[in-house]
Amino acid sequence: MQRTLTARDAFRRKTLWTALVVAAAAFILFPVIWMIGMMVKPTDIMFARPTEWLFVPTLEHFNYVFEQKFHHYLLTSVLLGLISTLLVVIIGTPAAYSFARFEMRGKDDLFLFVLASRMAPPVCLVIPYYLIFARIDLLDTFIGLTLAYMTFNLSFYIWVLRSFCRDLPAELEDAARLEGWSRVQIFRRIVLPLLRNGIVATSVLCFIFAWNEFLFAFMLGGKAVKTLPVAIPTLITTQGVRWGEMAVVGMVALAPVLIAVFFLQRHIVRGLTMGAVKG
Amino acid sequence: MTDVPIEDMPNQGGPSKAVVKRQPSHGEPVWYPYLLMAPAMITLTIVALLPFLFAVFISFHEMKFGKFGDFAGFGNYVELLSDGRFWNALGVAVLFVAIAVPLEFMLGLTGALVLSRPIWGRSVLIPFLFIPTMMAPIVVGLLWKIMLAGSWGLLSYNVIEPLGLAGETSIFASPDYALFALIFVDIWQWTPFMMLAFFAGLQALPINPFRAAAVDGANPIQRFFWLTLPMMTPLLVVIGLLRLIDAFKVFDSIFILTGGGPGTQTEMPSVLAYKMTFEFWNIGEASALAVVVWVLFFVFCNVFYQVAKKKLNAF
Amino acid sequence: MGIEQLRGASTAMRIAGLAMAVSLAVNVTPAAAWTYKEAAEPYKGATIRVLDEITPLQEILKTIVPEFTAETGINVEYELLNHFEVINKGQADMLSGRGYYDAIMLHGFQVGPMLSAGALMAIDEMVADKALMNPDFDEADMINPAYATTAVSGGKRYGFINWNYNQIYWARGDLLSHPDEMAAFKAKYGYELKPASTFKELRDVAEFFTRPAGATLAGETLESDFYGIVMEGIKGGSTFLSLWGNFMKSYGGDIVDASGKPAFDTPENIAAIKTWAELWKFAPPGMAEYSLIDVPTVMGNGIAAQAIAWSDFVLGIDKDGVSPYSGKFVYGPIPHKEGMVEARSVEAEPSVTVISTHTENPEATFLFLQWLAERRQQEALLKAGQGGVPIRESSWALPVMQNGKLAGLFKAMESSLEVATGKPKMPDFYELYDVLTGISQEIGLGRLSPEEGAKKAQAAMLDICDPCLLN
Repeated sequence: MQRTLTARDAFRRKTLWTALVVAAAAFILFPVIWMIGMMVKPTDIMFARPTEWLFVPTLEHFNYVFEQKFHHYLLTSVLLGLISTLLVVIIGTPAAYSFARFEMRGKDDLFLFVLASRMAPPVCLVIPYYLIFARIDLLDTFIGLTLAYMTFNLSFYIWVLRSFCRDLPAELEDAARLEGWSRVQIFRRIVLPLLRNGIVATSVLCFIFAWNEFLFAFMLGGKAVKTLPVAIPTLITTQGVRWGEMAVVGMVALAPVLIAVFFLQRHIVRGLTMGAVKG
Repeated sequence: MTDVPIEDMPNQGGPSKAVVKRQPSHGEPVWYPYLLMAPAMITLTIVALLPFLFAVFISFHEMKFGKFGDFAGFGNYVELLSDGRFWNALGVAVLFVAIAVPLEFMLGLTGALVLSRPIWGRSVLIPFLFIPTMMAPIVVGLLWKIMLAGSWGLLSYNVIEPLGLAGETSIFASPDYALFALIFVDIWQWTPFMMLAFFAGLQALPINPFRAAAVDGANPIQRFFWLTLPMMTPLLVVIGLLRLIDAFKVFDSIFILTGGGPGTQTEMPSVLAYKMTFEFWNIGEASALAVVVWVLFFVFCNVFYQVAKKKLNAF
Repeated sequence: MGIEQLRGASTAMRIAGLAMAVSLAVNVTPAAAWTYKEAAEPYKGATIRVLDEITPLQEILKTIVPEFTAETGINVEYELLNHFEVINKGQADMLSGRGYYDAIMLHGFQVGPMLSAGALMAIDEMVADKALMNPDFDEADMINPAYATTAVSGGKRYGFINWNYNQIYWARGDLLSHPDEMAAFKAKYGYELKPASTFKELRDVAEFFTRPAGATLAGETLESDFYGIVMEGIKGGSTFLSLWGNFMKSYGGDIVDASGKPAFDTPENIAAIKTWAELWKFAPPGMAEYSLIDVPTVMGNGIAAQAIAWSDFVLGIDKDGVSPYSGKFVYGPIPHKEGMVEARSVEAEPSVTVISTHTENPEATFLFLQWLAERRQQEALLKAGQGGVPIRESSWALPVMQNGKLAGLFKAMESSLEVATGKPKMPDFYELYDVLTGISQEIGLGRLSPEEGAKKAQAAMLDICDPCLLN
């Protein structure tokens, strides 16, 4: 019976499913859409009762955000996100590969060690970090925050990428070895290209985690290194909350990640399987 | 087009695994795998193990107001474990995780199945569906404050209060509903993550078993339970465990929305730890809390790891 | 001088302030030639770091800091962070011994815990030093009792007052003066409708204006529910502080007795809690999640008739383009218990900028803090900010505080600050405050009766500290 489906039916079905997904997306994203409206909503009717659905847009919130140099914080966030993610990729990729490819003594214990570093509530690590960083002058530096971000990102990266590495075909590498390729060559010319999707997907997630992180950035950052999430609460002032400005910053903080996901989604969707699907 | 083999290779099933078993080090010297791991292990030792050991050290000392006091033995632990608030926080967290994670799981899986039907413009829809997960938790908290705050929140005013859904109080102020409201926010934020991961998993499923099943006359529900679910299990386990650990540590949104109240109804361990650290400055006891939570997780993950590895081939 | 013995009654506070000024005058011989330039000579070129909380006033302050550097040659890195950052990072800096900041702004409630941690440097020696202290500084002009109760502990000064958060009574003047409402109120309660000055009036006005959607308010049909009062009710925030400072103390109660022993379940306190808890009936349903963010939002959007709120937050709401009700608000002192006007008390959070014990430049820092608190700088600030929360008595007379749209608000502030005191120095303040807020919420939500709540609170307090006061 299935074979008798006409192209028309298929088209109808596809449209129906699309409508369903779009409706669900609109429902889920309603608060976000509302927040986009708040970006240009005049302050005096922000929470008017009854709700004002239509209004003349204003750009005053944007002005304040620029005056307060939020673009600096944006830049800091981008830099910190990129640096810390890059470092995680450089350090984490060989480890993930090694975990997946080789049998060795103590492997399970080492892997649990990796997992374990993610288990303590970050709140409790902040004070040890603060005390150590205060001693060695790493507070309010890019290096300091990059190190701190590795507590949650490095283990995540290794964990996720490892499942992906596991399904790389070992035969290719073995063959290359017989051909007399060096280890570096094998890694660069076989392993890395094959891992591309996995690396992109995992590092985008790491970037998102670093991008959104609040507590470490708040306590270990400062005047010199101040990220967007830390700057957002400064909009809660003693003169009231600047809701419009908050909406602007919230949406601006979303934009780079959304764009990244948009362009990299092919890799992300493939990468996110984490090679964990068994055929 | 270079990545074509990646799609095909895993789907061939077993061989790579078999090779690994036969030839554990692929002709490489014993030290090679350790060398590859060394940078990561050294980094983790520095960034995670040392601060944690420092926290363990602190937990055995009197440490109030940032100054080291005398060695306290298990004093901080005794104090913590005899504190009703700690057990309350654990209970809240268990309830939170037990409700939020399975729901996220099921909704995510359902969403992924729907998303893998033929639809128009999927590549545009996916990034948008992923938005809640991409937003900073602190913004998510403020967003739901704007939606659900008593009297002035958009949904409170337009939906909840006219219908009398929250009774005499508002959602976040209600001792009965506040925790569920926070769970709802967590589900809103993290279901897209689950959905995308599961969708990716579905995309990678090999087509042949499904063809065979169709020929055998299996209906879609049978195919889901006999084929899709078993093949997806390893992925489901990894994602589920990850979310479980993270859900247990939720902090930002709770801090903004309820501050742990009303009373201590929504005081999760991370909120309690925050208060102990930054409000009471009882760093010794806060560190003890960190260690206890860590040990609980470690035991749990260890057991889980062994079981999952043997039974589900998940790691 | 035994300043500490004088604490208790508000008149005594004023005497305390004067006494300090007198002791100052005795110590310092009038030297007409005293200048900051000369005093700063030995410290020229030093750099000090000061952490303060970001507010529009402090932002203006930041623009005049370079004048100090020009005058003295002392460089100042004046850093502004938000409320939570100032508390968390400022405390972390002092308590960890990092010592990055020379001076840090402390809210009154932080002083007790920080003192008990030994993190604060007393400034008495520098005040007594003729070379460092401006003879014309006029310490007696600082608003008291706020100054004496906040900056002074154990007979020692720990800084000059920095600012004076305080609460006020905030109401919708257009409603309170509407002829229909006035007539109806008179008919129902037997007295004239006006801004509440006693707790009974506060309650009656709150009850009177609490109306469901569809009812009439000031001649118009309500599209949504309207409430008689709004206060803070969240865990954290000033929920409990408002109950304590505005209600319990106005009933003659307190949470500790003179010796510092917990005294929560006294009849005075229970009566005060009853008054406070009854107000919840006339408040928006979500009050248990309302923080100092929500209260002004609720008032600014015309959802409630009265509020007890932080006066500095009002500054941000009663402005054109921010609230449609701007210009319709009236302000007044926090109401008091009927017949007990002399016991009236107002929740306030006077703050001081303190010198960290880790500083390497105490004198330069002291000069800067003194300079900030000078009349000249304070007047410039208030003028530039078109009013604000003053720290000097003489500031009330400034034209910007007397005239203008917000004169009524400043009048209410002045009344609040007549009786406002700093928090008692409690090392375990945070624990107390956290637990007592939770219990207050349960009482407000009707989960505990005032008596049960008071009993529970007393037990919880005894669990944390006994005695609860420093020294």
